[in-house]
Amino acid sequence: MTLDLVRLDDRLVHGQVVVGWGQALAASLVIVMDDRVRQSEWEQELYRMGMPPHMSLEFASVEEAVAAVPRWLCSSQKTLLLTGDVDSLVRLVEGAPAIRRVNVGGLHQQPDRRQRLRYLYLSETEAEQLRRLAERGVEVSVQDVPTARPIPFREIP
Amino acid sequence: MKKGMMLSWLRLFAVQSSWNYERMAAIGTARALEPMLRDLPGGRDGARYHEALGRSVGFFNSHPYLIGVAVGAIAKAEHEGVPAAQIERLKAALTSSLGSMGDRLIWAGTLPFASGIGLALAATTPWYVGPAVFLLFYNLVHLALRTWGLQAGWRDGARVARALGAPLLRVGLSLAGPMAALAVGLAIPLVATWLGTGVSPLLHTAIFGVAAVGLTLALWLAPALGGLRFGLVMAAVALGLGTLWP
Repeated sequence: MTLDLVRLDDRLVHGQVVVGWGQALAASLVIVMDDRVRQSEWEQELYRMGMPPHMSLEFASVEEAVAAVPRWLCSSQKTLLLTGDVDSLVRLVEGAPAIRRVNVGGLHQQPDRRQRLRYLYLSETEAEQLRRLAERGVEVSVQDVPTARPIPFREIP
Repeated sequence: MKKGMMLSWLRLFAVQSSWNYERMAAIGTARALEPMLRDLPGGRDGARYHEALGRSVGFFNSHPYLIGVAVGAIAKAEHEGVPAAQIERLKAALTSSLGSMGDRLIWAGTLPFASGIGLALAATTPWYVGPAVFLLFYNLVHLALRTWGLQAGWRDGARVARALGAPLLRVGLSLAGPMAALAVGLAIPLVATWLGTGVSPLLHTAIFGVAAVGLTLALWLAPALGGLRFGLVMAAVALGLGTLWP
């Protein structure tokens, strides 16, 4: 499988992802899956500015990503998929059951969210959505950087 | 120059002073932004000023030396009356790209490059040349980035991607990593030779003491220093001890 990491992270492409995960996995393609960014040329241009020259960046809506998963899975290019919200992640995994593992990176403070870990804030609804994903047999692990220990989602307070 | 820009520039130096995991650099960024919002229509008592300031304290992060780009761009967007939702999305996109650019340009580029050159010079020239060159080069880079960033952000506002695509910055980003590797590669053998031969007994003992204290601190801090950083500290200490063992 070459869709090496499906990651939930509201900062999308940032240092931890590009330098940390990108190098650890030797990824050469990063997909940002976000319905709104997919529609917005100026945002895409800004996200592109953060990419190192040896990695390419593509944008997909959730629908496009669901359709492309089979292609990514059998491509030889090491690929990393990022999404910034729990809804999109759940829609992706429901549409593409071939995805068996997801990584919860960082979601940050918002008024309705409660702090679970240093880098993870979740609302009750979001926590419930992720719990259900895990109950359906998807491996949901929480890990900010590759050198940190992955924590199974059920152990999150 | 835009009114308030000088004060904003000065406040950029304290931009991480209230860094925390909840909002990261948001409070420092809001404080740096504030002087450039004072002349919004209605002034400091006006609704525009209060709304803009309220928006700016929500979650935000970036590389500290590049936050000026965000401060300038957000100030411009606020002055142009860009809708609130779009400003939030601008902040999200800047958190992403400025963070990634800064990590590569500074932490993986300028800092190891300047350290390598400084160490190589320290080992081969009079004692003050290495530290002086290190301090001069490193500070020039971040002062230039802060100054350029604030102005470029203010010039381009929400279209700031144009500024980030500037040829000099792109060349800097692609050279940062290789230059750092080159400088460190140059410094290691020079410094090892210098430590092995050119050091007076008193300095030798002093460096040995520092290395020993460093080892103790590193072991004590091990749980707080995750992975790579701990590895680097241990490698530095090992190098020190290995070279200095009588």
